[in-house]
Amino acid sequence: MKKTDYDKLIQETFPEAVIKTEYKHENMLYAEIYSRSIRDLALFLNKEKGCPLIFMAACDKRKETGKFSVFYVFADRLRHILIVLKIHAETEYLSVSKDIPAASLYEREIKDMFGLVPTGHPDGRRFVFHGNWPGGNFPLRKDFDRKHKPEFMKRPLYFQKVIGGGTYEIPVGPVHAGIIEPGHFRFSVAGEPIINLEAQLYFVHKGIEKLCEGMDFERAFYVSERISGDETFSNSLAYCQAIEKLASVTVPERGSYTRVIFAELERLICHFGDLSGICTDVAYGFAWSHFNLLRIWSYQLADALCGVRFLRSVNVPGGVRKDYMAGKKEIMNEFLDKIQKELEDIMKIVGRNNQFNDRIEHTGILKHHTAEDLNAVGPGGRASGVACDVRKAFPYEKYSGLNWNEIVKSDGDVAARMEVKAGECFESISIMRQAADAMSEGDVRVDIDSLPPDSWEIGMTESSRGENIHFVMTDSEGKIDRYKVRTPSFCNWPALCQAVNGNIVPDFPLINKSFNLSYAGNDL
Amino acid sequence: MFEMLKKIAKYPRVTGNYPKEPLDKSGFVGRPEINPDKCSLCGECERRCPSSAVVLNNTEKTAGINIDECIFCGLCEEICPEDAVKMSHEIELAVKNREELRVSPLVIEERDIPSEDYEVLCGRVKDKIMKKFGRSLQIREVDAGSCNGCDYEINALNNPLNDVDRLGIHFVASPRHADMLLVTGTASRNMELALVKTYNAAPDPKLVVAVGACACSGGIFRDNYAVRNGIDCIVPVDVYIPGCPPRPPAILYGILKAIDRI
Repeated sequence: MKKTDYDKLIQETFPEAVIKTEYKHENMLYAEIYSRSIRDLALFLNKEKGCPLIFMAACDKRKETGKFSVFYVFADRLRHILIVLKIHAETEYLSVSKDIPAASLYEREIKDMFGLVPTGHPDGRRFVFHGNWPGGNFPLRKDFDRKHKPEFMKRPLYFQKVIGGGTYEIPVGPVHAGIIEPGHFRFSVAGEPIINLEAQLYFVHKGIEKLCEGMDFERAFYVSERISGDETFSNSLAYCQAIEKLASVTVPERGSYTRVIFAELERLICHFGDLSGICTDVAYGFAWSHFNLLRIWSYQLADALCGVRFLRSVNVPGGVRKDYMAGKKEIMNEFLDKIQKELEDIMKIVGRNNQFNDRIEHTGILKHHTAEDLNAVGPGGRASGVACDVRKAFPYEKYSGLNWNEIVKSDGDVAARMEVKAGECFESISIMRQAADAMSEGDVRVDIDSLPPDSWEIGMTESSRGENIHFVMTDSEGKIDRYKVRTPSFCNWPALCQAVNGNIVPDFPLINKSFNLSYAGNDL
Repeated sequence: MFEMLKKIAKYPRVTGNYPKEPLDKSGFVGRPEINPDKCSLCGECERRCPSSAVVLNNTEKTAGINIDECIFCGLCEEICPEDAVKMSHEIELAVKNREELRVSPLVIEERDIPSEDYEVLCGRVKDKIMKKFGRSLQIREVDAGSCNGCDYEINALNNPLNDVDRLGIHFVASPRHADMLLVTGTASRNMELALVKTYNAAPDPKLVVAVGACACSGGIFRDNYAVRNGIDCIVPVDVYIPGCPPRPPAILYGILKAIDRI
């Protein structure tokens, strides 16, 4: 099928539904449709064409049009095309969650933040807000003052109940035993095996999306770096891409290669952390300390390149701040040689340890169809056979010109996720080397003065946790009107809850670590 | 097994010796400093600072930076037309009094959640604390709404390079076992109650250390509907560690400062 076919296909199949369609970019079709047709069209794209729903966002446009707008983004990853649908809604709109499970959490989020009701949604419970939030306050509506702090209420929260002889609940959190972020887990168990797990998140909800409204794009950039600490670079890169598309500028080649290097360095740092975490959770001290050593070296490489461990302030909208790679290629290659050699050795040692492999094989299996239904992304999805790497499906920066492989496994257990992560580390090292070789002398950034008014764009990156989508819309003065962030953790939390079912409670930390999801990135 | 032993022999000790030996800080991005001789008070940095930490005083003709609010992004250095701002390499910034980090007067939001006796209690036990803890310290970490950057840096205190166990410092699983709470994040609305409960669960005497710009002042998220401006709106704080996020040695410096070992 050729790229343009989606345009015709939608027009021909649903002639009554479409208000207008246009290609915003070569790889993005935008269609404004009547809200009564959203369910038919969404089902057609999702079920018949096999395009997963990867993103949903609402905007309060009541001042301009008298209604809210709701955006749906479907992705055809094989043909590299995004299909963006937009509907208008006043107080309610048709829910698609019964047929497309991936939509469920977006619709609940929109309900909490905008007060826009998805009719026919199977789950009417609160999602973002806890029992302390008084009803009738919708922060992302334009008439909600961002500094207003509503009264504290005491309302009960409802968890799914498992009833029967010998079943009981284990509540865990929000403050956990380890040095990790807060979240509440409610396990329903019968003896050791977990029957159902529900994660109550949003403990670190800070209101980032509201905070950015009305900001100029430079200031919001620094907020985008602080969405999730260990994904700093990937988040800021997705934001920068959206800004650069809005301003119609192209990042100079050297800047673009530099971004590739830093994005892969961030992936190395995160994956080494995850690998060592998996080993900690089965008390495999030797491997823990050696993976940690690799992580320390990666941090030292980051320090050598830019002086900041979390790669903050390296990006700027329009490129990278300085020519960080000038004269640094040798140092980088030295570090990478050392890291690669050591990683090869440790993976061999770990692979031969049968006790360790007994723990991670067949543990926490995420089934392929569940991963597809929930749009599980990143290593979590790829370990279950979903080829969802943004760097291949929607190549950005200079990835399409580099030679590397997407690692996909089919077992879906902790071992598969570990293999995917280890494999990606080798690929990342190779990508960094290639990018350093390919870059020529030149500028690393272009200046952006202002953004065009009343337009929107989507930036997409592959962070260490997976597909990362940032949606930026400008107001009539070219300031940020709506900034919607969907980090990979948002998609993978429900997948994690499915993966633990049937496993014993002591394996939960191990399964959790093999996904290693960000609470901050989910809660915003 | 042989391979494993070979590796252990190859890297017998990677742990650094901070704070006994000073760090090589030359490559670090640290606190921004304004050179008053060069500064023309143009206001460019004040206008563009992402966390509004730069303060111009036009009557006294001075410019300064509230380090408790600063996110160490380096934008002021980049945009200063007079080249008056420099990012120094200084990262050991922890202080016991938040005023020392600020150039403009401090206004703490009204403390409405805990009752008065936190203040009274803390004042009373403070002298005891130093005597009681001796040289060992048990820490409970609480994330009260961070971006997880500070938490990863606290985690890094336990890695082979920093290994704070060598200093008698341990991270414990429950506040019941803790002498010190290491708190990150702005105190988000949904974590307020959990933070108060954790504070109450830790036995007296206890210390509270605020880690990072968010915990010190609210940082870049200040004045938003779901956050408080720093954890000292909720619990009394003994040491403030600025940074976004502070490096592991900077956090260690703050911890040791809280128990008067530095």
